[in-house]
Amino acid sequence: MRSWSGPREAKALVVLASLLALGGCAGESPDRGITLVFKHARILGPTDPIPTLLREFEASHPGVRVKSESLPWTSDEQHQFYAINLEGGSPGFDVMMLDVIWVPEFARAGWLLDLSPFLAADETAPFFPSAVAAATYDGRVWALPWNMNVGMLYYRADLLARHGLSPPDTWEELVSQVRRIRAAERDPRLEGYLWQGKQYEGMVVNVLEAFWANGTRVLAEDGRLFPEPDQAAEALAFLRRLIETGVSPEWMTAADEELSRRAFGDGQAIFLRNWPYALDLFEAPNSRVRGKVGIAPLPRHARAAASGGSTGGSHLGISRRTAQPALALALVRFLTSARAQRAMVSGAALYPSRQAVYHDSDLARSHPMLPRIHAMMLAGRPRPVTPYYLVLSTTVQPEFSAVLVGLKSPQRAIRDGRRRLEHFLVSLR
Amino acid sequence: MTSGQRASRRRGLLLVAPALTVLALLTGYPALYVLWLSLQHRIPVFGIAEFAGLAHYWFLAQDPRFWNAAGTTGLFTLASVLLELVLGVLVALALYARPRGRRLGFSLLLLAWAMPAVVTAKLFEWLYHPAAGLVNVVLVGRALNWLGDPVLALPAVILADVWRTMPFVAILAYARLLTIPSELYEAAQVDGASRLGMLRYITLPLLRQILMIAVLFRTLDAVRAFDLMFVLTGGGPANTTETLTVYAYRGLFQMLQLGFGSAIGVIVFVLVMTVAWAYLRLLRREGLAA
Repeated sequence: MRSWSGPREAKALVVLASLLALGGCAGESPDRGITLVFKHARILGPTDPIPTLLREFEASHPGVRVKSESLPWTSDEQHQFYAINLEGGSPGFDVMMLDVIWVPEFARAGWLLDLSPFLAADETAPFFPSAVAAATYDGRVWALPWNMNVGMLYYRADLLARHGLSPPDTWEELVSQVRRIRAAERDPRLEGYLWQGKQYEGMVVNVLEAFWANGTRVLAEDGRLFPEPDQAAEALAFLRRLIETGVSPEWMTAADEELSRRAFGDGQAIFLRNWPYALDLFEAPNSRVRGKVGIAPLPRHARAAASGGSTGGSHLGISRRTAQPALALALVRFLTSARAQRAMVSGAALYPSRQAVYHDSDLARSHPMLPRIHAMMLAGRPRPVTPYYLVLSTTVQPEFSAVLVGLKSPQRAIRDGRRRLEHFLVSLR
Repeated sequence: MTSGQRASRRRGLLLVAPALTVLALLTGYPALYVLWLSLQHRIPVFGIAEFAGLAHYWFLAQDPRFWNAAGTTGLFTLASVLLELVLGVLVALALYARPRGRRLGFSLLLLAWAMPAVVTAKLFEWLYHPAAGLVNVVLVGRALNWLGDPVLALPAVILADVWRTMPFVAILAYARLLTIPSELYEAAQVDGASRLGMLRYITLPLLRQILMIAVLFRTLDAVRAFDLMFVLTGGGPANTTETLTVYAYRGLFQMLQLGFGSAIGVIVFVLVMTVAWAYLRLLRREGLAA
């Protein structure tokens, strides 16, 4: 690891001296502390662990103050905030929380500090490889994984057990289980499988998972779009058929994570695709499905070899314009440490990006599902790691949505999406 | 013109000059900058900045997503302004005719109007909830997929907008009603006019001018509508609620294609200016504007 002390310390001394001189003129002693600004999304959950962690960091770094500033609520607005402030040139923050899909884009834009020169050779090894891959662009690491997410299948363990079923391996099995359970339960309010089909990023994640479960993807290694259009069309047609045949309710086309999570949490569905955060809410004391929920990997299609949930989560990056790169890196290291991640699991239901934390014996008592979630995260796949991911997602969203509501055939949506993408990407490559 | 008048005129110009300069800087400069951006390929993330001429406009002219957004914007504007006008006048008349409960009615109207659009959107998200939403449970009685159905989504967004902005029309119209001298109605009564006749020949003609101004404001707002659809549907499903400003936002802040997004912005700007100009002409004919 390279040391930062030499020239920086000299510079700091000069600054300090001039500040003291100024302070002398004004007749008061200046604030000699250094302030780091940490931008992050508001943490939801029983207790926000961030303030405690930051105070702990300050205690071990005398003279340093960390100011924590909230980002806007939605991911769209956060991206807009970063784009405006980072492109403007004087961001006013040092450390930033990044959605995993933005890292290559921000790296390409030159907004992030390249962390590679400072990281020890094995420093990224304890993290999930897919999370490190998502923060790697041009062979360099631009951010450290902070917390991890993966798409998974929730099922009503009580209902499946009552009908002698085990969680489905394939989508075909899931559909037949839905039919069987609903026929036997005779509850018109009981839905089959809930997922996210509103026109937004979350829907793209669902479609990508459907692609992977059918052995295809949206972007090939060589940059080709929809490399296997027939398999992609099949996957889209399958999602549409879920709605047409009533396995999933019609309102899937307006559902986001929370809408579908609440319906399942009210006991109104057998299966749900969602992120791990929902687990804590289902197991909360006042939950109607407490003790009745199981988790499993997302199913695959019968003839596909493997499936995998989409990974997500956030990373911590450093603004290239920070005046305190060494301290900012120290803060990133501290917040991504095993210690900080343990605090975040219990306080905020944010899942660790470090693999060892999943097998921590203390945590295992309060969070018995951790090892299972670990296995699913390990099998998860990142969305395409490319600086133009948002161009891709924004362009295909309406096309996929048109298939889900039955306005376009899958083939046509894929053709239209590809044509539009080629127009926008041609200038970028 | 006498020299005194000329001097006074010059002084007047001098006095408004600072205001005009500030206005020119605040509105003129950004407008010109956006126009200039729209003639370029400008994608900062990829370090792309080159002159593109009218390429973005040419692409938009053949872009079904653009024409769809333009159509949605037009339909949204027409339907929401018309409904707001009719309902606003009805509510104003009801408030005027019924002194009892007027204060409560007023507070409720102001509440709807004062609420930020994003809060309104969140509220309606729950009202439209497919299973538990008030609209379905109380009004429709069946589980309509309001925000996820390509036919229902736009009406659902329009309804939310009408709920939010109808009070603006209602309060303006009500204020005008208060200034109509009661002698007019008394005289009409003496002449044996029916209540409907009085509405038709006295009230509505006198409301006309204030309503034209209300419609001007509402139309300009509706053409730029963004926040309701952005929060409620994200422009979906299948772009059926994507307005021009939502499309511009996607281009500017998500795809970070500043030139392309600006081109859409310029088109919205021209649209707004055209609407404003047409209304101003109309108002001038009414003697309402200089």
